[in-house]
Amino acid sequence: MKALDVILTKILWSRLISIADEAAIGMVRSCYSINLRDFRDYCIGIFDARGSMLVHCTDTTPGFIGIMPEVMRNFLAKYPVDTVVSGDVFVTNDAWLGTGHLPDITIAAPVFNGSVLIGFVVCVAHHLDIGGRMASVHSRDMYEEGLRIPILKLYDAGKRNDTIFEFLRVNVRFSHKVIGDVNAQLVAIESCRKGVLKMIEEYEFDNLDLLADTILALGERSTRQQIRALPNGVYRNAAKLPPFVPGAAPIEIVVAVTVDDDEVSVDYTGSSPEVDIAVNNTFTMTVSYTSYAVQLVLNPAVPNNAGCLAPIKVVAPRGILNCQPPAPTWGRAMVAHYLPEIVLKALAEAVPDRVVAGSGSIPFHAIYFKGKRADGEDFLTFVAHMGGLGGSASRDGYSCLSFPFNIASIPVEAIENETCIVFESKELAPDTAGEGRHRGGYGQEIIIRVPDDDHAPPKPVQTTVRGVNRSPASIFPIAGCFGGRPASGPDFTLNGKAADYNHVYDFAPGDVIRLVVPGGGGFGDPMERQPELVAGDVRAGLLTPGNARAQYGVVVRENRLDAEATDRLRREKSVINRQLEEKGR
Amino acid sequence: MSAVYSLGVDIGGTFTDFTLYNHATGEVLVEKVLTTPGAPYEAVFTGIEQLEKTLPGFLANANRVTHATTLVTNAILERKGAPTALVTTRGFRDVLETRLENRYDVYDLNIRFPEPIVPREHRFGVTERVYSDGAVKTPLSEAEVRAVAARIREAGLKSVAICFIHACRNPEHERRAAGILREELPGDVAFSVSHEVSPEPREYQRSSTTVLDAYVKPPVSKYLASLESGLKARGYRNTLEMMLSNGGSTSARNARDFPIQLIESGPAAGVEASGWTCRLFGIQDALSFDMGGTTAKLCILRDGIPERARKFEAAREHRFVAGSGMPVTVPVYDLVEIGAGGGSIASLDGLNLLSVGPVSASSVPGPACYGRGGMDPTVTDADLVLGYLDPEYFLGGDMPLDLQAARDAIGARIAGPLDIPVEEAAYAIVDLVNETMAAAARLHIAEKGCDPRKLTLIAFGGAGPLHALELGRKLGCPAVVFPPCAGVMSSLGLLTAPPAFERMKTVKIPLEEANHQAIAGQFSDVHGDVIRIIGRHDDMQFRHVAELWYRGQEYPLDVQLEGPPSAPGDITVMRQKFLDRYKELYGRLDEGNVIEVVALRVIGSFGEGIAEVRLDKGTKDRNFDKRQVYDHATRAFAEVDVVSRADLPIGRTIEGPLVIQDRESGIVVRKGNRLTVRENGAIFVELHGGTTEQAVEEGS
Repeated sequence: MKALDVILTKILWSRLISIADEAAIGMVRSCYSINLRDFRDYCIGIFDARGSMLVHCTDTTPGFIGIMPEVMRNFLAKYPVDTVVSGDVFVTNDAWLGTGHLPDITIAAPVFNGSVLIGFVVCVAHHLDIGGRMASVHSRDMYEEGLRIPILKLYDAGKRNDTIFEFLRVNVRFSHKVIGDVNAQLVAIESCRKGVLKMIEEYEFDNLDLLADTILALGERSTRQQIRALPNGVYRNAAKLPPFVPGAAPIEIVVAVTVDDDEVSVDYTGSSPEVDIAVNNTFTMTVSYTSYAVQLVLNPAVPNNAGCLAPIKVVAPRGILNCQPPAPTWGRAMVAHYLPEIVLKALAEAVPDRVVAGSGSIPFHAIYFKGKRADGEDFLTFVAHMGGLGGSASRDGYSCLSFPFNIASIPVEAIENETCIVFESKELAPDTAGEGRHRGGYGQEIIIRVPDDDHAPPKPVQTTVRGVNRSPASIFPIAGCFGGRPASGPDFTLNGKAADYNHVYDFAPGDVIRLVVPGGGGFGDPMERQPELVAGDVRAGLLTPGNARAQYGVVVRENRLDAEATDRLRREKSVINRQLEEKGR
Repeated sequence: MSAVYSLGVDIGGTFTDFTLYNHATGEVLVEKVLTTPGAPYEAVFTGIEQLEKTLPGFLANANRVTHATTLVTNAILERKGAPTALVTTRGFRDVLETRLENRYDVYDLNIRFPEPIVPREHRFGVTERVYSDGAVKTPLSEAEVRAVAARIREAGLKSVAICFIHACRNPEHERRAAGILREELPGDVAFSVSHEVSPEPREYQRSSTTVLDAYVKPPVSKYLASLESGLKARGYRNTLEMMLSNGGSTSARNARDFPIQLIESGPAAGVEASGWTCRLFGIQDALSFDMGGTTAKLCILRDGIPERARKFEAAREHRFVAGSGMPVTVPVYDLVEIGAGGGSIASLDGLNLLSVGPVSASSVPGPACYGRGGMDPTVTDADLVLGYLDPEYFLGGDMPLDLQAARDAIGARIAGPLDIPVEEAAYAIVDLVNETMAAAARLHIAEKGCDPRKLTLIAFGGAGPLHALELGRKLGCPAVVFPPCAGVMSSLGLLTAPPAFERMKTVKIPLEEANHQAIAGQFSDVHGDVIRIIGRHDDMQFRHVAELWYRGQEYPLDVQLEGPPSAPGDITVMRQKFLDRYKELYGRLDEGNVIEVVALRVIGSFGEGIAEVRLDKGTKDRNFDKRQVYDHATRAFAEVDVVSRADLPIGRTIEGPLVIQDRESGIVVRKGNRLTVRENGAIFVELHGGTTEQAVEEGS
């Protein structure tokens, strides 16, 4: 076997990532649904023979990255390494053993070099449907949520297990797409397996052990170094989340982040117990979004692997962040997506230049549709629209950007091609960004109509808008930081009347939904923002002159900055602020 | 004169290169003149006049003039296109800005995206709507279109992109809006309409492509019209042929209508030349490295075949990472482009840290040493100060360089503020630009899953030969090849393959129901489209390609056919080829699913490309002797032998250090490196060991 110097390590490490990336391309190109093709809700990982994650594909969503190692561990607990044979393919969608809710199907397979097991490849994909109640927070237990696939062998020594496919086929809506996408996952698995074998053959290795040991050690060492650069201490935060359904008690998340030399532990003791709506998180999901939050602060110098995750400990007692069967979990991300924001806020004073203010994409705003088109074709699909990213020490937040999750907005042309709905607007929404020295990104206004002409569907479209109300007046606004202002919050109406998030509506011909996905919070004092940038937003039609004046002390007349008047106004405002401050003392 | 000639002309940001090939003798004549950015055709005519001095009247005997230009990509990179308006369906004017709403790097909260080419105040929504099946939901408001015209006129915008939702399904509203705007706006305003530029669903990618097309159209269109008429006036009688971004060809007429197709035209010509070099010398895996005045281009060739892609990203914002640029859906060679060239300007930032590029001094004013008023120090100035270039033999002495001006510029802007010797500052500039290119190359090579230690670096472009050995060393490449005419290689690449004109038609035919005659009929329509562009020729050849997928998928696979189907059995063959290809690519089949034919393509070509070249030695220029070249190890100049490339006999092996000088460029061979002169005058340099400078933990 060849020795592994620094250069070769780097090359093979990059090569593994590109193998995973190529596998993702193969999956996307051979898939049948927009979940994978346009929404890109998937992750592919390559693991060593012991089941430690070595790399993941670049284009992925953080929720899956930290979960894949957990699923791999669970596969091996059921099928120990010494029982695995070539041609085996494992499958599960179990919430606790897998990714936290049923729509994600995880598939994994061993990689054998001859008769020697050298590693595993794993592919998680979010499927269009898994049966049960469709896209609902109202399920009271997991049995309402669809088909549960325990850890099984989808292929046993190369032999396809038709029973699993048959169960799947008869239990899910749009089974041709779901099974087509399972096949696309198998394409990814096979592509990775071949890629790994080609790589070791090319470099004359017998297995991945040496490479795995090296890059896991480097990942861990680099992460510990980065943690050491953080000031030791215990950093706390607590947040009450706005209710997901009217009248529900708020869920509270309590966090203590302990930085202790080269380790970080994040403890959620004190958070709410399980709830009887479907937003409970399995511990695997909690771990995934928590370690991601810590990694964002660390800004790691090396690609993520199991070594990078090792110095990050997560503790969550049984409850909303560590639920137990049969708790319902479908909308788990509606809570999990808050975790990075809550953890970053805890760490803001310690590392002010590494955090972002609150983001309008949290939690995820998705709309689910099920119905029939005028031509008789059934459809089931969803779309997602992102809010503005929070401002940071270095810049304004981008408008409409996925965070903390990372998925793409499905093109209007793609979604309309499958459904009967029509988008009337998908445009930046003025005055939605939290003001600050660096403002938040802008949110967007989405207007959707069900046609009432010859394209009208034969029956209403079952429609759910997923989200919560994080208005400035709510118990958990989209906050600014270091003097930045909160974002102006969302808006959701049906035919002009305030509507409820997470409620299943009959969206009938002629009905119109309007949804404002909020902007992000501001960073730093708005009075310190460069007046020309404020005037630029006014010119672009994104900021009304009244708000430029009131929030920024900037005077814009006929789209031009009035520098003199701005100076005067800002001076006046600073005097008033000082007086207020003194009074406050 | 009975000889038949082909002329390749490649316009780069700094130089315009010419290769004139005599089909009868295999002789090649090259020329290089400064690009004239204000009116790029002037440089073309200047070069042709130079060539006419050697071969009077050749243009009248040319059966082929093929052209490539970096005009499009430079206009985008440097944001020098026309001020552009975007007209969209009401409610969708921000699609260009909100992109796909995802992040290309999940771990970096400081990722950047390019500023939209069209600012929000120049994006206009108008009332109109088409359903996804093409039916009209809301008629186009012509009054609103006229009102938008008034605003475009007021703002003085020179180009208009129109992109309506579902325009690929029903282009009528786009057509009508374009018609009205044409009526209302001055005649010099250009139009790009999405269903013509990029007829593919997905509004963001189509908007981006259409906007970029509009942005570059006024300068490109004006340029090509002048070029065509100038060539005609000088006696050229055939079609002016343009190289497309995937190595294919089109007419200048068509290229003026859709200039975005030319986005990687110049780089594609270079890649073609690398493919030719691979064929000539039996090189398997190579990295094509083309460094001109403004940018450096890299492309991987496997088994001598350049990698291709169906889309391209212009002006990537961040660390050359996929997803950080502006998407362009045109077929391209899969290459990366870096803002690093001879003209790249070196500067100090607020922290006194050196940076080089991406801004280029281009040809006007050019590097300080050109003596054309440039005050900013560039990579070429640094090369000159270090003795890599000969001030008296630049372009064979046609363009003397001002060494003192180069020293002054580096002294004033870099060495002075840093309080270091000018030579050290010059060395730092060269080293930084090499490292910038190496970093981009490493990422691209890794993205493609290749190993730089197995890639032969093929170096060309005006600045490529000067920097290739250092780049190769940094990457760990085993060898560097300097093809003949390295300084004008892209213009040679324009001629290495016969012109290939491609047309396609989208269809939707389930294979089970496919009738071979019907498909042959569709092919014959496409065939006719190809003939319409290129005219009829005696030695025409056609290739037929069908695109197929499983119904429900959206990424078709190419199936190469022997010709249009002529018997029912040909459909069976098509099916089997699809299944074989699917199995090969994806390792499995989706048995039972319906297979559909979704597109038919015909590629027509005629004539022949260049096989081998015989370099015209021309007159014996000058005897070279010795030159002072800076050696970083000793921080001093040392005397090095200089030889003329034209004097190197084929088969000879020489040890460094030495400088090889040719008209267009030079090679600085270090001590310990051995070079071999091969057929056609190509030079091979072996590099020892894989001492790359890449550490595993960067910055730790």
